[in-house]
Amino acid sequence: MQTFHNIGTSTDWIVMVVYFIVIMLFGSYFGRYTKNTSDFFFGGRRFSWWLITMSIVATGVGSHSFVKYSAKGFEHGISSSMTYLNDWFFIPFFMFGWLPIIVYSKVRSIPEYFEKRFSPSARFLATILLLLYMIGYIGIGFLTLGKAVIPMLPEAFTLFGMTVPITLMGAIIVIAIITGIYITFGGQTAVIFTDLLQGFILLFAGLLLFFFGITYLGGFDIFWNLLPMEWKLPLADFNQPSNFNFVGIFWQDAIAGSIGFLFMNQGLIMRFMACKNVNEGRKAAAINILFVLPISAIVVGNAGWVGKAISVKSPHIVSPSVSPDQIFVVVANIIASPGMFGFIMAALTAALMSTVDTLINATAAIFINDVYRPVKQFLKSMAVSEIERDKKELLAARYASIGVTALGVLAVLAFKNFPTVYEAHGFFHSTLTPPLVVGIFLGVFWKRFTPSAVITTFVGGVALMILGARYPGIFIAPFDHGIEMNQAHPYSYIRALYNTFVCVGVAVIVTITTQWQVKIISIIRNGKNSKMIMNTITALAIAFFVVVLMNISDLYMQCLSATAVLIFIPLLVTYFVKYDEITNTNGLTAGSINVARKLFKGAAPNDQEGQKVLVHFKQVDGDDTVVHFSTEDMILMKANPGDLVYLSDKRKWMGGLKSIHSVFGKPHDEKGKVYITSSQIKHGLFVKEKLLTAEKEM
Amino acid sequence: MELYSHTWLPFIYLYGLGGILFIFGIYITIKAGSFDLQRRTHKKWMWILLFGFVWYLMMHALMTWAALGIISVYTVPIVLLGMAVVFIVLALLSKKTKT
Repeated sequence: MQTFHNIGTSTDWIVMVVYFIVIMLFGSYFGRYTKNTSDFFFGGRRFSWWLITMSIVATGVGSHSFVKYSAKGFEHGISSSMTYLNDWFFIPFFMFGWLPIIVYSKVRSIPEYFEKRFSPSARFLATILLLLYMIGYIGIGFLTLGKAVIPMLPEAFTLFGMTVPITLMGAIIVIAIITGIYITFGGQTAVIFTDLLQGFILLFAGLLLFFFGITYLGGFDIFWNLLPMEWKLPLADFNQPSNFNFVGIFWQDAIAGSIGFLFMNQGLIMRFMACKNVNEGRKAAAINILFVLPISAIVVGNAGWVGKAISVKSPHIVSPSVSPDQIFVVVANIIASPGMFGFIMAALTAALMSTVDTLINATAAIFINDVYRPVKQFLKSMAVSEIERDKKELLAARYASIGVTALGVLAVLAFKNFPTVYEAHGFFHSTLTPPLVVGIFLGVFWKRFTPSAVITTFVGGVALMILGARYPGIFIAPFDHGIEMNQAHPYSYIRALYNTFVCVGVAVIVTITTQWQVKIISIIRNGKNSKMIMNTITALAIAFFVVVLMNISDLYMQCLSATAVLIFIPLLVTYFVKYDEITNTNGLTAGSINVARKLFKGAAPNDQEGQKVLVHFKQVDGDDTVVHFSTEDMILMKANPGDLVYLSDKRKWMGGLKSIHSVFGKPHDEKGKVYITSSQIKHGLFVKEKLLTAEKEM
Repeated sequence: MELYSHTWLPFIYLYGLGGILFIFGIYITIKAGSFDLQRRTHKKWMWILLFGFVWYLMMHALMTWAALGIISVYTVPIVLLGMAVVFIVLALLSKKTKT
């Protein structure tokens, strides 16, 4: 396989350095809006849909990167776009199930949902799985970044007379340091605004590259006619080859990946939580999937398609044996002029950094919410005042960002031996998402789903997944749809179907046998040695899980051990975990969203549709939790005291950066004025004489 | 037959199984009450959801026909843009009628 070094000129490097300085200054400017942990992680829940849509572009495009889709575009053609065009199926579940629940239940992280919906032990296991998922994702991001910049770097450089080779890991460590510095001092507001800028630049750079490629080849008709027919088809062959087939990718990406991305990617969830309300979040998701993703599919894959066309026309310029992960850089260098190549490379690396930034910020949020705070509470060492506590948490969040960055670099080691980034990412998604995806999905849509079922899914489901990974020819083969098993990387994609199947199977069986578990536990409780029996079952469950985990004994014994885990875990959870179906599901399932809305507001929601009104603010002393409008304005808004209100700067292009959420207080008689306190003015960043738009939320 | 496994078989699998999941998603959220078609905004979302499904189905079908040489590749963006424009115009007209 042909690999490259030293691609690009000094002009390209200058353009790249200038680009990065501008982006970092831009991010730092908005970093000053980070005043507390809510701003650091959620941007203060105030932004408009268009701002969030564009900022999601940089995150989505970055993670589904130029490198891996160009590689598959070069190897297989237009079907590299299929992973971008299969996300619509789960959108009803997201828009009307998960999104309102996470907003109205005020959870700050996905594991926190597991505690509210199930139990603290479910939260603990979800935290472990989610941290693994997020850190793995960061590792994939760093690996892609490293593979993107390596072709531009020399093979080695000389320092104090010593020749230092440039390795993939070395490049990744330097990139990680730059990324870590930026995110640590910026926070979510900085990330959102940097991503907004980068979203536009990315789309522009990708489309520009396509234009250059078409021009280089002599026009679109020539490009289209150069591609072999198989390269023009939008979907891959049903079940071959093993490293890129439709059915495997359907289960890995359209099912596990789409639910994983929409439901458990804390980075994306935090973007939606930064929207000013649920409906804005729905708009952001819809516009992103309907219009932005198809454009993004062209943006990220076209270098591979153009590379294929050039390799057909002029194989001496682009050899068919070019390393697929390097094709983006190779093609960009051929078709773009010096300086322009630097700009395209800067946009690519900045996009990847956006993804990694978002994930680092999100993982730090999980650490603070699900590790730091519970540990502090356990040690009873909470600071006296809220301000002091928030200050400490913000500092801890910054340290957590540094730690997560370091772990992300280590995670690269697990993926760097896959032939392409695409396969590494596919394997990662297929393996890590199913247990959490099943846990969240059934938790939201099935009221009967119990803590026993979710914890057994996390433990027993994982045990069955380990067996599948160890004996793919026995366990995964029945699900393979005729895909040939690659001995080096068996069933990288279709394993998602097996993993999802076993997790759903465990979840359903444990849920429908709840009454049996309750009966057995009541018999044990009524016996004399209940504690001793339960301690024995605990020890056995751990021992059996270790047998599977550590590959002790033969296949037969491991299967028996996994079965024992599936029997013992539900009994243990039923015995030790307190669970009340009504309390634990109220406002936390799709069937109780109206309860969630009521809990969110603290009173019955007011759904009468009113108008938006324009007002000037008047500073008053008083209660910081309410704002006061005139009676006339409140009639126009169809609002009553106690309803929720969103107040923002009238200038729409600000996207809600200058805004607050509050509660309607008692009305006054001064039409066109809203009475607010100095601290509300400061928090909303309102400017004197500038008009504000007010709208009733609920 | 080999071409079928590269063209319409994945298409049928994608929109058959995907379609079942999509309809199940709408059904379960309506049944749960979180998707309330009595509310005007939710009714609007229902149309957007259905449009999105047809939009993607048409996108893949047109791209497959274009790859097979049955239609011109330029037809793909023209039809898709046309669909989006018609949908937006209809949405604006219905909004105007209601106000």
